[in-house]
Amino acid sequence: MSTAFSTLRHVRGFDVVRPLSIVTMLAIMTPLVLLPLASIFIFGTSKGLGSFWAALTAPEAIFALKLSMVTSFWATVFNVIFGLFASYVLSRYNFWGRNAIIVTISLPTAIPTAVAGFALLLLWGPYGTLGRLIEPHGIHVMFTAWAIVLANVFVTFPLAFGVIKPVFDTMSRSLEEASATIGATRWQTFWHVTLPSLRGAIVTGALLTFARAVGEFGSTILVSGNLANRTQTAPLYIFAKFNEGQVEAANAVAIVLALFSFAIFSVLFFARDWLDTE
Amino acid sequence: MLPEEITNIFGDEGADQEAARAETAAPGEIAASVRGLSKSFKGTVVLEDINFDVAMGESLVLLGASGSGKTTILRIIAGLEEPDTGRIILHGNDVTELPARERGVGVIFQAYALFPRMSVEQNIGYGLRIRKRPRKEIKRTVDELINLVRLEEHRKKYPSQLSGGQQQRVAIARTLAYKPQVLLFDEPFGALDAQTRVRLRREIRSLLKHINVPSVFITHDQEEALELGDRIAVLNVGRLEQIGTPDEVYNKPETEYVATFLGAANLLLGVVNNGGVELGTVNLPAPEETRRFREGQPVKLVFRPEDVCLNRTGALPAGCQRLTNGVIEEIHFVGAYERLTVRLDLIARQPSEGTPQLYSVTINTDEKRMGIPIIVTRPKPEANSTRLAVGDRIAVGLTAFRVLPNYALASERASRVVDLEK
Repeated sequence: MSTAFSTLRHVRGFDVVRPLSIVTMLAIMTPLVLLPLASIFIFGTSKGLGSFWAALTAPEAIFALKLSMVTSFWATVFNVIFGLFASYVLSRYNFWGRNAIIVTISLPTAIPTAVAGFALLLLWGPYGTLGRLIEPHGIHVMFTAWAIVLANVFVTFPLAFGVIKPVFDTMSRSLEEASATIGATRWQTFWHVTLPSLRGAIVTGALLTFARAVGEFGSTILVSGNLANRTQTAPLYIFAKFNEGQVEAANAVAIVLALFSFAIFSVLFFARDWLDTE
Repeated sequence: MLPEEITNIFGDEGADQEAARAETAAPGEIAASVRGLSKSFKGTVVLEDINFDVAMGESLVLLGASGSGKTTILRIIAGLEEPDTGRIILHGNDVTELPARERGVGVIFQAYALFPRMSVEQNIGYGLRIRKRPRKEIKRTVDELINLVRLEEHRKKYPSQLSGGQQQRVAIARTLAYKPQVLLFDEPFGALDAQTRVRLRREIRSLLKHINVPSVFITHDQEEALELGDRIAVLNVGRLEQIGTPDEVYNKPETEYVATFLGAANLLLGVVNNGGVELGTVNLPAPEETRRFREGQPVKLVFRPEDVCLNRTGALPAGCQRLTNGVIEEIHFVGAYERLTVRLDLIARQPSEGTPQLYSVTINTDEKRMGIPIIVTRPKPEANSTRLAVGDRIAVGLTAFRVLPNYALASERASRVVDLEK
């Protein structure tokens, strides 16, 4: 994928199209993406780093950031493991309804995340289909950290699946066949041959899942209950503080999230050769 | 029985194993047998009653066009495909029901299928690592094999850093590490350029003679088959047409398909008449060749372009049986030899009313010239010493030919020619 781009020369000497197109592109992008991002940083640091730091180290803010990281981490772990398994099954075995499942898995990317949230409520909530059955046994899923993990998985699974499954599809079967004829069991083949080829897809899928889960808002606000210091994730904290008029507090956490996602996407971009299979 | 109890790949591993082998295996013992193999995919028959054996240390080439089923045979032997009927026997054990990993078969895949994330050493040691052998033993075997395939300076490299030939040697060494009962090569030179191909198959040939492991090759390249095979099995749409030494299949083809697939062949239609083959106005005496046919049976006279001798004076050399006269129509010089088109003075007998035409005289021009064109090749020295020109009238003789049955209908070609003398 490390293609060296070369542009076709249309004119001799100075080509005015080049600077012109770069400037146009930047002019459109600036108000759309760059300025909004910049304003977070400008506003966050306008009252000095001291107040930024104070806003960030407020116990509620730290709790919200931690909760986001922890729930996203478990959602990522689940997505990678189950994503591998589901991709394996759906790419290796042909069975009735397979394509329907593949389509259904991708659905959550298109429906509003709030719908994902209340779908989970309808299932696991106190009066939900499953919730009604487990609630009497003292098992509460909704309005806990587990609800956040569930919501994250629901929303982000298509990302991990969408990265891992194509690699399974295009992987040469002869590698696995070679391994089998050499004498490896299915598990040895998977561990020594299949998995190493999936390294890039797994890391990419994990980073995408994590980045998306940390920023998830619509579904978490419905299923978590949004209780400060208990089930309030970073995006919910930002929303709550903003509603309370504490824009600095909201902004400090926003800066952390922005930097965090910047870091993740930088890794994805600059390590893409390493992440590429082969 | 474990494969290592049977095959001894490395001569230096000690005489005790050599002795052990002598007990279980007589020289010339059958290493692998394929018995009555049939297979169809979704109603299409791809293999029909395939039988053959591979002897210890022998290399057998399965030769056939694409779609002949040769790859399926290989995959069935390896355990990657299940046969509908038939058995696979390796060193006396029926392995038909065993999964691929328990068969101890070495497969060299078409694109080698080296593990891209493993170095040369790791690839070669893989078979022993998954068998949980002691580290020392793995290292010793890997060292030996790297020496054997001469990849000392590449041992730390990854497959993508190796040339096609080097990758192939890694693939072979990787299978030799676990002492396979039989080596299977799936179109091993398909991915290489013509020059490397020739060099590599000589290398592999000498390597195989050295390690004494029976091997089965798959190819569609007749030259490759003739050079690599101790024996060649010619496959045609799922049937085994002929199996024999390169000399047998080339010089004594049993079917028209074999004759035309391996090298070029001229085919003339005729009938058996009085211990000879009657071709139009000519009767070619062939008492030996025609013995297995009944009088009047339609046959095909098959001969190779290089088995034709030509002479302007009419005096054909000894050992060359006179066929008829002809006229030289074209002469092409193609590198190592000269290729001529000769129109024979054979006139097709007009079939009487209602009987099927026995001679299909190939006339491909509008003017409907009389006679049958054949292709003749002459080596350079002969071409230079006796020059011939287009339009010359010449005597045509044959140094070697085969007489094959001519089935009017394809369905009559249900079985191979049964040679009654055998």
